[in-house]
Amino acid sequence: MSLLEIKNVSKIYGELKALDNVSIHVDKGEWVAIMGPSGSGKSTMMNIIGCMDKPTSGEVLLDGVDISKESSKHLTDIRRDKIGLIFQQFHMVNYLTAVENVMVSQYYHSMPDEKEALEALERVGLRERARHLPSQLSGGEQQRVCVARALINHPELILADEPTGNLDEANENIVLALFAQLHREGTTLIVVTHDPEVAEAAQRTIVLEHGKVAREVINENFGK
Amino acid sequence: MTKRRMFLRMITASLLRRRSRMLIALLSIGIGATILAGLVTIYVDVPRQMGAQFRSYGANMLLLPKDGAELNSQNLSEALQAIPADVLVGAAPYRYVRLDMTTRQQSFTAAGTDFSQIVKTSPYFSVEGAYPSETRQVLVGKEIADTIGVKVGSTMELTWQPTNNAAGKTPEESRVPGASLSGKAEGFGGGVVYVTAVLDENAGIASLTVDASTQTPEYGGRIPDDESFLNQFIGKSLPLSLGEDVDALSGATVTSSAVVDALNKATEGSASVQPKTLNFTVTGILTTGGEEESYVFLSLKDMEMMTDSDQLDVAELSVSASVDQLEAYAGAIAENSASVSARLVKRVARSEASVLEKLTALVFLVTLVVLLLTMICVSTTMMAVVSERRREIGLRKALGASDGSIRAEFLGEGLFLGLLGGVMGAVLGFVFAQVVSVNVFGSSITFQPLLLPAAVIVSMLIAAVSCLLPIKRAVAIDPALVLKGE
Repeated sequence: MSLLEIKNVSKIYGELKALDNVSIHVDKGEWVAIMGPSGSGKSTMMNIIGCMDKPTSGEVLLDGVDISKESSKHLTDIRRDKIGLIFQQFHMVNYLTAVENVMVSQYYHSMPDEKEALEALERVGLRERARHLPSQLSGGEQQRVCVARALINHPELILADEPTGNLDEANENIVLALFAQLHREGTTLIVVTHDPEVAEAAQRTIVLEHGKVAREVINENFGK
Repeated sequence: MTKRRMFLRMITASLLRRRSRMLIALLSIGIGATILAGLVTIYVDVPRQMGAQFRSYGANMLLLPKDGAELNSQNLSEALQAIPADVLVGAAPYRYVRLDMTTRQQSFTAAGTDFSQIVKTSPYFSVEGAYPSETRQVLVGKEIADTIGVKVGSTMELTWQPTNNAAGKTPEESRVPGASLSGKAEGFGGGVVYVTAVLDENAGIASLTVDASTQTPEYGGRIPDDESFLNQFIGKSLPLSLGEDVDALSGATVTSSAVVDALNKATEGSASVQPKTLNFTVTGILTTGGEEESYVFLSLKDMEMMTDSDQLDVAELSVSASVDQLEAYAGAIAENSASVSARLVKRVARSEASVLEKLTALVFLVTLVVLLLTMICVSTTMMAVVSERRREIGLRKALGASDGSIRAEFLGEGLFLGLLGGVMGAVLGFVFAQVVSVNVFGSSITFQPLLLPAAVIVSMLIAAVSCLLPIKRAVAIDPALVLKGE
């Protein structure tokens, strides 16, 4: 059963076709990597899946809802309810502590719950760092806080944009291990990356080139 | 945790953990609120402040005797009851008479007054030397001093020449031994007959002269020279009755009757009242730039002694009040007193009102400008805050913040700043107003309790209005910016 169904989607900026009649689907519980060089349409794809942009044409069904026709206000609601975002630059609110940053996500979603937020930090191994400001955390720790923030509202889909792009190998492995754990729990993961190692951690890799799907690779070694 | 608590936690964290930026925003609101609160305090207090200042321009109300009535210290102090003591700066009574300086053959207007009140009602009086502090001392106007060449310490001999019947005696009171009487009555054909008589030690008539120049020469006109007619009066006491005490001159009955009539009505004349002469020491020379320089001022006590009367001509009042209030006081005085009427010195009262109007308008304008500047300043700072926090705003939107949430958060921060700035402004504004008041007006002001809530509400409003544009900017930020790995 597919969670995300992209049908014949094009996105055109003036003369430039960022996405050219792309169709992909992602099943519920699947872990998919989207790869491609700069200018391949990765970012545009990410924006559309993340409900931050709309395609010029085509259909985008997220959990059965066509988000290509929704108003931006509804897109915000959908993003808040269904998607957990993880960014390359971490993006924490720099004057809030780790646990407060997690609670911000709860605040916009439903109700802030400090206990639950602390549990989420526990999961990413940062229970003791909960009262630290972002400036007091390492890059790896910040990204783990962001993972905690992304999963706090139990989203259908976790959408990660180059989640390990600013991390060293040790932290990259920690984050990938967290993803694997989320995958085992049934969370759908879409990871946009240009790092083959990160892509190989996923079940399937979709490679974009020049706004089109160049190929799809099933990772034979997944789970091994 | 409730959403509201998280909201407050985020706002306070934003303000407390981003101190340097927020301090600038707080300062701009706080300083604006300070100046506003200060100006408003001054604005409210200006009439009172200036009221006291204006009193240095002299009296703004006059008390005068009503028609046919007399003003004296008794009914003056009664009339002054109508004016509250705390607004009555001073009340200077004046009695004006002509005094002669016989040694110089000069005469001038002399004013009897209360010097302790003059200091209050006419603070612009400039005295070389000192105000008289005792009786027999005078303050001499500069013009007179120059003319007759007196200096501080000189002595002046001043003489009061009583006018006829100045003492206001009745004919009966006048008939005392040695008195010199004069009188008149209507004679033949409407002509007036004048008589003068001097009384002997028994108050009988010692001598008598008649002026009958208006009468027919061959009849009544003969009387002044008719010794036998005139002699009948000698030794007789007034009043007289024609036909009983004296006989009429034949052929001049009407004129004879007029002579008797005039004698019966005659009162004490000038000849019998001795002019009073007193010696005074000049204690000061007065310069005012006005007509006061041609006056001689002496104490009311000396004036009463010289003229045998405590009558006053006018009282000059200096009242610290608006034109409307002055008019109300004047009305109350006229109503309550049978003998005293009050009048505003329009020139002074009006110019005060117009200066006050201009001053309050000025303060109002400055307040408006400061208000505007504060808004621009706060708005600019908040604008900088928004662009500095673009990514954070983008992140919040990416995390699902609605436009309303973003608005609420920035408005919340703005209002919080407004609250802090308002409290700061109320306190510092009062200090500012106090400093201005003490340095400019030379008096302190009282704290208006209403200032605190007013300053807080106004600065929160300013903050809110100033945040409108920055919030618009914040809401327009595209959440996708957080994805692009900038």
